[in-house]
Amino acid sequence: MLKVENLTVKYGVIPAVMNVSLTVGRGQIVAILGANGAGKTTTLKAIMGVLRPASGQISYQGEDITHMSPSNRVRKGIALVPEGRGIFNRLTVEENLLLGAYSRSGNDVIMKDLKEVYALFPRLEERKKQIAGTLSGGEQQMLALGRGLMSKPQLLLLDEPSLGLAPLVVRELYATISRIREQGVTILLVEQSAAVALGASDYAYVLESGSLKLSGKPEELKSLEDVKRVYLGG
Amino acid sequence: MKQGIRAEWYFLLGGLLLFGGAFLATQFLNRYLLYILVLMGIYSIATVSLNLTNGYAGLFSLGHAAFMAIGAYTSTLLTFPLALREAYELPMLPAFLGGPNFVWPFFPAICMGGVLASVAALLIGAPVLRLRGHYLSVASLGFVVIVTTLAKTMKGLTRGPMGISAIPSYTNIYWTYLWLLITVYVIWRIVNSRFGRAMMALREDETAAQVLGVYPMKYKLMSFVVGAFFAGVAGGLYAHFTKAIRPFEFSFFLTFQIVVMLILGGMGTTAGPIVGAVSLLTLRYALKPLEEHLKIYGLIEIIYAVLLIVVMLFKPEGLVGQKRGVKKITVGGKSSA
Amino acid sequence: MFSWSYFLQQTMNGVILGCIYALLALGMTVVYGILRLINFAHGALITVGAFFVYFIFFRAGINLAASLLLVLGFGGLMGLLLDVIAYRKLRGGPEVALLITSLGFYTFVENFMKMVVSPQPYSFKTPAYLAVMYKTSLLTFRSIDVFIIVSSLLIMFIFNLFVKKTRMGIAMRATAENLEVAHLMGIEVNRVIALAFALGSAIAAFTGFLWGAKYGQIAYDMGFLTGVKAFVAVVVGGVGSIPGAMVGGFVLGLAEILSIAFLPTRFAEYRDGIVFGILILVLLLRPSGLMGVKEEVRV
Repeated sequence: MLKVENLTVKYGVIPAVMNVSLTVGRGQIVAILGANGAGKTTTLKAIMGVLRPASGQISYQGEDITHMSPSNRVRKGIALVPEGRGIFNRLTVEENLLLGAYSRSGNDVIMKDLKEVYALFPRLEERKKQIAGTLSGGEQQMLALGRGLMSKPQLLLLDEPSLGLAPLVVRELYATISRIREQGVTILLVEQSAAVALGASDYAYVLESGSLKLSGKPEELKSLEDVKRVYLGG
Repeated sequence: MKQGIRAEWYFLLGGLLLFGGAFLATQFLNRYLLYILVLMGIYSIATVSLNLTNGYAGLFSLGHAAFMAIGAYTSTLLTFPLALREAYELPMLPAFLGGPNFVWPFFPAICMGGVLASVAALLIGAPVLRLRGHYLSVASLGFVVIVTTLAKTMKGLTRGPMGISAIPSYTNIYWTYLWLLITVYVIWRIVNSRFGRAMMALREDETAAQVLGVYPMKYKLMSFVVGAFFAGVAGGLYAHFTKAIRPFEFSFFLTFQIVVMLILGGMGTTAGPIVGAVSLLTLRYALKPLEEHLKIYGLIEIIYAVLLIVVMLFKPEGLVGQKRGVKKITVGGKSSA
Repeated sequence: MFSWSYFLQQTMNGVILGCIYALLALGMTVVYGILRLINFAHGALITVGAFFVYFIFFRAGINLAASLLLVLGFGGLMGLLLDVIAYRKLRGGPEVALLITSLGFYTFVENFMKMVVSPQPYSFKTPAYLAVMYKTSLLTFRSIDVFIIVSSLLIMFIFNLFVKKTRMGIAMRATAENLEVAHLMGIEVNRVIALAFALGSAIAAFTGFLWGAKYGQIAYDMGFLTGVKAFVAVVVGGVGSIPGAMVGGFVLGLAEILSIAFLPTRFAEYRDGIVFGILILVLLLRPSGLMGVKEEVRV
C-alpha cells in the first residue's frame, strides 16, 4: 500500500528525519512510536506532501508519489488528521466535514458519505450547525477523524490522535479507529503513548532522533527491554 | 571588552577621516554637490535609525516622516530669531518660548526635537506594540497623517500649509556628519549589546525568545523610541538645512523614500542603510536633469517603486546584506503550484 | 443648532461613505486573514478603477452597465496578475516582504497615473440619470446615493453568500483560519488566494467608480488615504472577520462624517486625523475590534 524508502527530511540544514524506510500493507494498522521530536510528525507530513523530502522515495499503491502535490495525494486517497486535530474553529461542524471532501466531486456521493460519518459519530450530527471551536476535546478529535474520512481515504494518517484526551475517551477513539479499519481503510498512526498504540496495531516502528531504531510486531516490541523502559514506563 | 575598545578607535579614526573628507569637500566641491552631500548625510541618519526599528527589531514602522516632522518643527521653533517671531505672530507658541530672551542654541534644539519625537513614539508604541501583526505599520502610517494634519491646522504654531521659512541656516556638512557618526555609533552599540541580541532573538523567533525570558514589549518599544529620536534629529537638521519647511514635505512619500533606501541597502546591516541612502540620492540627482528635460514628473518615484519591487523579488537581502539561512519552513506553498 | 433633518442628512452621507469603506474592507480583510498582508495595492485599484470607467464610459462612450461590468473584470484581472507575478513568489518568506512589495506597487501605480494621466484631478460627471434630485421634508438626495447604497448592499450580500455557501467560499474561510490544514484537505491554497485577490480587487475597482460618481472628482492619489482608511475599518471591525469588515466600514464612515458635521467648522480640516485617532483608540481599548476574534499566534 505505502512504501517509504530512505526518506530524509531537513528543516533548513538540520535533518529531522534520516534514512527512514517503512512499509504499510493494505488493511493494516501501523504505528510509528517515539519520543517528542523523534521525527514522527515530520515523516507523516512528508508522506502527505506538505514537507518536501531532501532525498528518498515514497510510493503509494505502486506509484511514485514523492513529488506529487498534497491536493493530488488527497485525490489519490491519502488523508492526514494532523496533530492537535487542526479543526477550523470558526467554521461549523458540517462545514469542517464538507471540507474533508473538498477534492472530490459528486454531491450525492458526498452527502451519502456525510451520512455515514454521522452514523459513525452521532454526536457530530447533533452538533452539525455548531461552531467547531465550541466542541470538547474528544468531540474535536471525532470531527477531525470524520473530516479525514470525508475524503474517502484508502490510507488514513493519524498524528497523535490520543493527545490531550482522557483515558476513557482514548479507548472509545481506538475502538472507532478499529471500526474504520474494518471498513477497509489502511491506517498509519503516530503516537507518543506507546501502550495504547501497540494494543491496536498490527506492526510498529520506533523512531529515535530522526532514525529508525526498531520495528516489529507489537507483541515482539512489548517484550523488548528498552521499549518497556522508555515507552511503556515499565 | 578588549574588542569594544578597538571598535571605538575605529569609530574615532573613521570620524577623523569623515571630517577630513568633509573639509576637502568644502574646499573643492561646488555648492550643488556640497548640498547633495549634506542631504545624503541627513537621509543616512534617518535610514540608519529606521534600520534599528525595521531591520534589527523586526518591526515595520512607517512613521518616520512624522518623527522627522516633529523634530523639524521643534528645533525650528526653539531656534527661531526673536525678530521674526513677532513678524510671524505665532500665538500658540508657549509664552516662555515666545519671551524676549529665549532662543535655543542649535545643538540642544536638535536634541529637543529628537526627545519630542521619542515621546510621540512612546505614546504611539505603548498601545500598539503589545499587538502582533502589522498593526504598527498601519498605526504609524496613521500617525503620519495625524501629524501632517496637525501641522496644517495648528496655524498659530506652524503657520499651516504655507509653512515656516527663513529658518536659521545652522546645518552644515560638519554638523550633519557629526550627527551621522553619533547615530551610527549609538545604534551600533545598541545592536552589539545584550539588549541588541535579545532584540534580534525576538525578530527571529518571538516565542522562543520569550521562553528564554526576553520580554518583547520592552525591547520593541525601546527600539521604536530610539529610532524615533534620531529621526527627529534628522528632521531638525533638515529644517535648518533647507531653511523652509511645509507640512506636505513630511507626507508618506518621505517615509517611503527612507524605506526604499533601507531595503535597497539591506535591512539589519550596519552599512546597508548608508549605502542605500547614498545610492538612491545619487540616482535621484543623476536623473533629475533628465526628468526636468523630459518634463515627466513622477519618473523618479516610479523608478523608486520599481527598484523596491525588484529588490524584494530578486535580492531581498539588499545590496550589502547576506542571504539569511532559510529558517522558516514554507507551508507547502511551493510544492502546490 | 441641532435639527433632525441635518442629522438624517449627515447620517445618510455617513452611510454612503461607510458603503465605500465596507466594500474596500471586504477585500482587504480576506487577504489579510489569509496572508497577514496589509495590501496597500488595494488602494491603487480604487484609482485605476475610477480612471478606467472615466475613459471607457465618458471618453469612449460605452454604456454604463457594460462599463461597470468591464471595470469589475478589469479590477479582478489586475488583482490576479499582481498575485501571480509578485505576491506568490514571496509567500513563505517573511510576512513583511509582502507588505513592502505592496507599498512598492501602490507607489508605482500612483506615480504612473500621475505621469500618464495627469497630476491634476479630473472632474467626474455623474450621468444625468444618476444625478436626479429628490427632496423630502427631511432629506435631500440624488439617485446616485440610492445607487451606491443598493449596489453596495447587493455586492455585500453576494459576497457573503459566496463565502458562506459555496465550496470555494468555505475553503477561503478555512484557508484564512489555518493555511496548513487547508492544504492538507487538498484545497489548492494558491488558487484560493488568487481568487481572494481577484474578488477584492474587482470590488475595489468598482468602488473607484462609486467614489467618482458621488464626489465628482478623481485624482491620481485618491486611492491612498481611502485604501488605508479601509484598512482602519478592517481593524475597527476586527481583523480577518468578514462581517467585522462591513460593520467597521459603516462605523468608520459614520464616525468620520458625523464628527465633522457636529464639531465646530474649524475642525473640518482634522477629518483624516480623526479617522486615525479612532484607529489608535480602537487599538488601545479593543485591539481585536468590534467583532474580531483574538488573533492566533502564528509560529
